[in-house]
Amino acid sequence: MKPAPFRYVRAGSVAEAVAELAAAGGDAKPLAGGQSLVPLMNLRLARPAVLVDLNPIAELERLEVEDGRLVIGALVRHRRLATDPLVAAHAPLLAEAARWIGHGAIRARGTIGGSLAHADPAAELPCAAVALGAELSVAGPGGARTLAAAALVDGAYSTRLAEDEMITAVRVPITAGPVGWGFAEIARRHGDFALVLAAATAVPGRAVVTLGGVASAPLRIDGELDPQQREEAIAGLAARCVELCEPAGDVHATADWRRAMVGVVATRALRDALRC
Amino acid sequence: MLGTSVPRKEDARLLTGRGRYVSDLRLPGMLHVAFVRSPLAHGRIRGVDADAARAAPGVVAVVTGDDPEVAGRELRARSSLSSYVETAQPLLARDRVRFNGEAVAAVVATDRYLAEDAADLVVLDGDPLPAVVDARAACAPGCAAVVHEEAPDNVLVRRRFEAGDVDSALAAAHLVVERELRTNRHAGVPLEGRAGVASWDAGDGTLTLWSGTQIPHMIRHGIAELLGLPERRVRVLAPDVGGGFGVKASLYPEDALLCVLAIRLGRPVRWVEDRLEHLLSASHARDHVYRVRAGLDADGTVRALDADVICNAGAYSLWPYTAALEPLMAGGLLAGPYRVDHYRCEVRGVATNTAPSGPYRGVARPATVFVMERMLDIAAAALGLDPVAVRRRNLVRAEDVPYTSATRLVHDSRTYGACLDAVLERLDYAAVRDEQRRMRGAGRALGVGLAVYNELTGMGSAASAGPRMPFRTGYEMATVRLDPEGGVTVLAGTTSQGQGLETTLAQIAADELGVAYDDVDVRMGDTQGPYGFGAFASRQGVIGGGAVLLAARAVRDRIVQIAAHLLEAAEADLRVEDGRVRPVDAPDLGISIADVARVAYHEAHRLPEGMSPGLEETRTYDPVRGTFAAGAQAAVVEVDRTTGEVRVLRHLCVEDAGRVYHPAIVAGQIEGGLAQGIGGALHEHHVYDPDGRLMTATLMDYLLPAATDVPAFEVGHVDDPAATVTGARGVGEGSTLGVAAALANAVADALSPWGVETNTLPLTPSRIHAALEEAT
Repeated sequence: MKPAPFRYVRAGSVAEAVAELAAAGGDAKPLAGGQSLVPLMNLRLARPAVLVDLNPIAELERLEVEDGRLVIGALVRHRRLATDPLVAAHAPLLAEAARWIGHGAIRARGTIGGSLAHADPAAELPCAAVALGAELSVAGPGGARTLAAAALVDGAYSTRLAEDEMITAVRVPITAGPVGWGFAEIARRHGDFALVLAAATAVPGRAVVTLGGVASAPLRIDGELDPQQREEAIAGLAARCVELCEPAGDVHATADWRRAMVGVVATRALRDALRC
Repeated sequence: MLGTSVPRKEDARLLTGRGRYVSDLRLPGMLHVAFVRSPLAHGRIRGVDADAARAAPGVVAVVTGDDPEVAGRELRARSSLSSYVETAQPLLARDRVRFNGEAVAAVVATDRYLAEDAADLVVLDGDPLPAVVDARAACAPGCAAVVHEEAPDNVLVRRRFEAGDVDSALAAAHLVVERELRTNRHAGVPLEGRAGVASWDAGDGTLTLWSGTQIPHMIRHGIAELLGLPERRVRVLAPDVGGGFGVKASLYPEDALLCVLAIRLGRPVRWVEDRLEHLLSASHARDHVYRVRAGLDADGTVRALDADVICNAGAYSLWPYTAALEPLMAGGLLAGPYRVDHYRCEVRGVATNTAPSGPYRGVARPATVFVMERMLDIAAAALGLDPVAVRRRNLVRAEDVPYTSATRLVHDSRTYGACLDAVLERLDYAAVRDEQRRMRGAGRALGVGLAVYNELTGMGSAASAGPRMPFRTGYEMATVRLDPEGGVTVLAGTTSQGQGLETTLAQIAADELGVAYDDVDVRMGDTQGPYGFGAFASRQGVIGGGAVLLAARAVRDRIVQIAAHLLEAAEADLRVEDGRVRPVDAPDLGISIADVARVAYHEAHRLPEGMSPGLEETRTYDPVRGTFAAGAQAAVVEVDRTTGEVRVLRHLCVEDAGRVYHPAIVAGQIEGGLAQGIGGALHEHHVYDPDGRLMTATLMDYLLPAATDVPAFEVGHVDDPAATVTGARGVGEGSTLGVAAALANAVADALSPWGVETNTLPLTPSRIHAALEEAT
């Protein structure tokens, strides 16, 4: 369990990091918290020739409100997401999702940018980001661009980021009116990757469920919600979630169980979102 | 001293980072080994191309199974059981690979990174052969996969235990229940994996192996035989060891290969396995299928038990315990602490293309207790009886002792019923049943499950539970030595993997000698010390402790003899306490042990006539049969019927460990065993895909219990001293035995309104949910 040889580069700025990524010709990986990448390297499942360490880049640690959005730098750690008052005020769903990640040591190092770019189908933050309609600021050799979190993932552990691009920030819209939210997850042990998870948001008349662990990318399912018939609406939307997903089985759970649990977590998240 | 939780001798060292583990060892010129492991579960090897690896930076040597010094040597675990098919385990796979993870080449380099880089370059050219991972499929007629040619039906051992007239008893029974039960393959996963450093001294032709082993003397024997070295020229040292749980009680090919490499290269070589290697290639256990029929009277009396047991032995019969270890233990102890006169149990150890099975805390009994306790609950439900009543009716009672079981084991425990009673009292059984009714009324599924079990600990030379290896492991040897200033050193043949044995042995010696605990040091884990078989079968305290007690007693007798001579007193008028030999009628007078020791070494002319100088004695202890430790557990769980998740609300355990030397160490052993048991019951499961690829080779997929998965345990004691010299019964494994049984019974109890049974482990949400779906 020793990684294959690699070159280690500390990047002082986003521009420098992008230049290093580009220079490596697709054979480099940015290093943020390293909580997924480093184990993969130790298993030699990932063998980047160059590791570009983003940790010295201070601007990636920003966490502030700007233009009606909560802007979260790519290097913001899960622990900070879970505990920072700004996140609690403007994106409580994200704070709750972060609490479900791993254990204290992992949350102290793991970053939001790393989690999104790693695109584990069972990870919490990619789902939460999609549920919140977040946008990602992406830097590349050609400059900066914006990408919807919902458009980031194009397969399990695969994103639409080019090999010389990196996420610099996550921008979460701060909505004017009240938004209900809920988050529910089932894992084998606390801190494990989810077997199934659901993030729900609700505005009057409408709710959205984003599912994790059941497809290669976060699966977003929305529906009308008749406030007069809330129970039926929740049941109906949960049933649609079950219908629309095709989870796979593995050593931890069968596909049938996962599918049944989609209904359970969707219902739980929706109840929380609707405060009922 | 005995019976108090004195500060552990080990703790100052271990808690301040000054432990001395194999991986802390740095020898001049030391090289590092990485193994190339087979991705194939079963295949014919056409070749292993190591040319690129040999040319890689830092590489000193690459060896494969064809290497003459490797090919000529193989491990052969022997047994005199008539049905046993002896097979060989090569040091590196040659011609055939038989499981995913088997080593096919070893790379020796100047550091482990370079060794792994080069190992990456080794190419195994192999033709896949049909693989079989399921033991029942492996021994079914016409199985396409044959793991060893010597055993065309893949059965490496088979034995029938039979007593009474099972068929008639079943025919006459009021009720016969028949079930199939399965237990899950799991692994020991000690914090420290396997590790070894081998060093060859060409000057005097001696080989030294530092190994995290539980059985240094047996390893020495195996290595000497394998390498054709005189046993006296092989020294095996087990320094601090970070857990073993049985996984380190076998001689592995990797250990032996390290020795071959050290001799060939003339430089020390080191291998410290990583977790991936550990999960792939260290021994697994508990992959069993039980088909059981139980016949009972209407009052719950068990009349007969008829069982067919298949244990998955994996690809090799591990040295020294063989593929017979689990099947024999299962057949010998399936009835546990219950009286069953008519008993038949056919056991098989079956070869498959999976990692070899070996000893793991409890050896088969966590499975057999699960089976027996499930059968009792199933029968109780069918008879409309309370689970407690059925147990009480069948347990071996105090008045039955000594009770000879159907498998000819002699029970010396009088406390099976007492342990059960103590657990029920502490649980407040009636109150839990009331709570269960209340919760059911509210639609919630609360359940309580029981398990009563026994463990044959400290097996002596006449205990026949073992797989008839060429050696009987029934005794231990210890030396107690005083130095000229009266300080005490205990040298013991037994070893420790973190159980606090230094402390326990020091307590015993200090108590028996009448000296301070702080004046005693303990040295173990060195084959240059007294002989011993090591750490397994909950034997160290009982047998190793007994040997220390006898040696200390012999030294004390010498001290009294010398003191009597010096004081011109009669021996009978002297007693030893607080480091002095005192006349009974004048306790202020007398002579210090330090003065006696000084005379024994430095003024030998003052010794009684004919006594040789020095002050040390060596004794062996053999408890002949061994002693049964009793235990009972109760679990209270709530099952979430929408998800199948199990929450363990309470877990209670009462054990009879005989005389307790050190309450905190005993509590630690019991609680550790319970935690491991919860892992095995709820989470841990090694899974191979049908092609024989291990799907659970990392700790992301092989799920160990974490602190959040175990409740605060409620532990109690029934201390009935055994007829061993120390009065102790073994305590290392016992608590592991009852956990799966108690939890499975609790889950089944919680779901009894829906008729769900829990006869397959582990109790995963997915499995429980599916059973509920099927039932409703």
